[in-house]
Amino acid sequence: MNMRKNLKGAVGLVAMASAVALILSGCARGGDSGNEGDNGETTASPGITDTTLTFGITTPLTGATAGPGNCTADGAIAYFGVKNAEGGITFGDGKTRTIEIKTYDDQYDPQKALANFQQMVAEGVFAGGIGLGTPTNRAWREAAIDEGFPQVLAQTGDPLFSNREESPWQLGFVATYPQEGRAFGEALVASGEPHKVAILSQNDDYGEGYVEGFKEAIADNPDIEIVGELTYEATDTSVDAQLTELAGTGADVFFNAMSITPLVIAALQKSQQLGWLPSWFLPSNTSSPVAILEPGGGSAFPGIYTVAFSEAAASPAFQESEEGKVFMEALAEYTNQDGIPGFPHCVWSWIAAATLEQAFQNMTEPTRESFMEALLNISDFDAPFMLPGAAIDTTQDGIPAVSEVVVQKYNGKGYESIEAVG
Amino acid sequence: MSQVSDLLRRPWVRWLILLVVAVVLAVLPLMLPVFVNQTLTRIGVYAVAVLGLNIIMGYTGQIMLGQIFFLGVGAYVTAYGVVNDWNIVVIFIAACVIPALLGLIIAFAAARLGGLAIAMVTIALPIIGVPLAKRLSDLTGGSQGTSARFSSAPDWTGLYDDQWQYYVVIVIAAVAFALAYNLVRGKYGRAMRIVKENEAVARSMGISPYRYKVMAFTIAALFGGASGFLYMVAVQYTSPETMAFHHSISLLAAMVVGGAASIAGSLIGGIYYVLVPQVTNAIDPTITAISQGVILVAVLFLLPGGLVSLPRVIRRIFRRRSGGTDQTPSPQPTPPATQAEGSETERQA
Repeated sequence: MNMRKNLKGAVGLVAMASAVALILSGCARGGDSGNEGDNGETTASPGITDTTLTFGITTPLTGATAGPGNCTADGAIAYFGVKNAEGGITFGDGKTRTIEIKTYDDQYDPQKALANFQQMVAEGVFAGGIGLGTPTNRAWREAAIDEGFPQVLAQTGDPLFSNREESPWQLGFVATYPQEGRAFGEALVASGEPHKVAILSQNDDYGEGYVEGFKEAIADNPDIEIVGELTYEATDTSVDAQLTELAGTGADVFFNAMSITPLVIAALQKSQQLGWLPSWFLPSNTSSPVAILEPGGGSAFPGIYTVAFSEAAASPAFQESEEGKVFMEALAEYTNQDGIPGFPHCVWSWIAAATLEQAFQNMTEPTRESFMEALLNISDFDAPFMLPGAAIDTTQDGIPAVSEVVVQKYNGKGYESIEAVG
Repeated sequence: MSQVSDLLRRPWVRWLILLVVAVVLAVLPLMLPVFVNQTLTRIGVYAVAVLGLNIIMGYTGQIMLGQIFFLGVGAYVTAYGVVNDWNIVVIFIAACVIPALLGLIIAFAAARLGGLAIAMVTIALPIIGVPLAKRLSDLTGGSQGTSARFSSAPDWTGLYDDQWQYYVVIVIAAVAFALAYNLVRGKYGRAMRIVKENEAVARSMGISPYRYKVMAFTIAALFGGASGFLYMVAVQYTSPETMAFHHSISLLAAMVVGGAASIAGSLIGGIYYVLVPQVTNAIDPTITAISQGVILVAVLFLLPGGLVSLPRVIRRIFRRRSGGTDQTPSPQPTPPATQAEGSETERQA
């Protein structure tokens, strides 16, 4: 009785094992045939056919960074939505293709960004990029190099992505931190007057990048003297001590490389309490007129400067322009954005998509190599929504796609471009 | 039904099943597509992290909200070792031992507190860990993180990188699971469970709750460190973002979804942690967070013992349908973690 039971069980076990084996071999065959299919297609890279090209974006779509993250995807989705509706883009090889954007949510988690990259490869995506974040983009940088997979127009100020030697398959999009610092330094030099500068910076690669660029720009100018230089930690809740010390230097220019919104507001207020009213420099991501300068009382200072490269979607000029209307309609039609986007990343992503289109139009073969070659060869491109003076140029080593930024001055409501500080 | 369970109880059947599983796991990566291997590798990474969490929370009943900190330390130790050309075995041992030592030191203080206080101490770990990792930029590479490319397949294996990484992770994960399985079924595991149920009873039996809490905490940290090493095998990059506090909560959710106080539940937790974002990417990438929330709530309501209790629940329903002739007492439902916490807080009050 027992024996028979055992035997029955054993038979069942063998049956199960063979079923598993069958399933496995089925899987294997599926995988193989997939590979054959890829190899069968002449020399074209994966993700590109005669009629379509698939582009992947991994970016935080949920979680704490979801606001700007969604915008980084939506700008490109809207742009190519319009282009696809017009019939597609004519590539350099003469074929017209529509662009399919595939979005992946990485929740600002580096590990998920890498997983998303692996998923892109598995799903036969041609190239990826435009995604937001330094750690998330870094997490799949080397894997992309190994795979020969373009990771382009990354929305991070990290200069590594624009180093052609170290990152042959990458290109950054937004200006790097040193670029921003340098732009302000140059505007200061252009004022032609002597200045005493106080520097406060975040004690990490963000702050260091700004200070490095700024110092480079003023290096050969004896009129500009750095009279005080202090740092703070990203975890600090107050910089009152540093401000008091810097106020004592009597500097007339305050270079504040700070990335934390509440700290910037507190610093603006504290400086007024101390009666220290220099001209300020603020990084592009902590210089919002509505969110920072109004609560901080920015009008009290002789000048607050920042750098920018794109028009603000909220400005009346943008809303009334022909391009601006197309942008707003496309966002409404192809994405879930409601009204004027609250983050500049939507406009940036739109510009990045326009830059991609340039590369598509110039790539002569349906391969990733040809795409990279075309992408790294864009200059004199009149991109949409760029401020006069700002430029897209992908031909310079060490410089991301946005090669030139402009310095702007706060006018009580918004910003206006200027040539020199003063 | 009962025939099957009878059969399953026989040792030779168990060994055979184990053998079949081992063979399948060994042969699988040679056939499967690259992405599936990569996914299985990541599941291994997080299954080990959840396993460590399960030992301290599921089995010993102490609230631990800082498991991701130990994973992060393990990952950073690995990265540091690789950058400084340590031997790989030394790196692995260091990636396990250093987090375990940290865990031990923290546990000496934390285990005295018990209850919610231990939860507070563990919350602090990732909150301290992130700025610390940013500030110690000589060791950690600062906020830009550090990458360590060391898990490419050696030439002599003839394997692809994804297959090699899979094997490294699966072997270490299998050893970790075997160790944990033996731990929770042996003397220590029983003692841990008594500590969880009632500390006074434990004391009356000569079991020091303090010692066992410290031990469980250290083991959890050790498993966290090991999963950090595996993280680097699979991801090859770490940054302060890796040990952000909310990942700790995600690990906790994965443990609850998989099944608290269950070895198999840890594996299911790892699968849940990795697969849900991948599946939502395919459906609609903007629903990742909400789908994780819905699954967690659904599991808590329908299967408080976690997904691992699903077969048990089905069996119970089946038995009820068939008229309840089977009088064997239904296996005690897995005490959900909340129950233990409840008794804990009562004692606190």
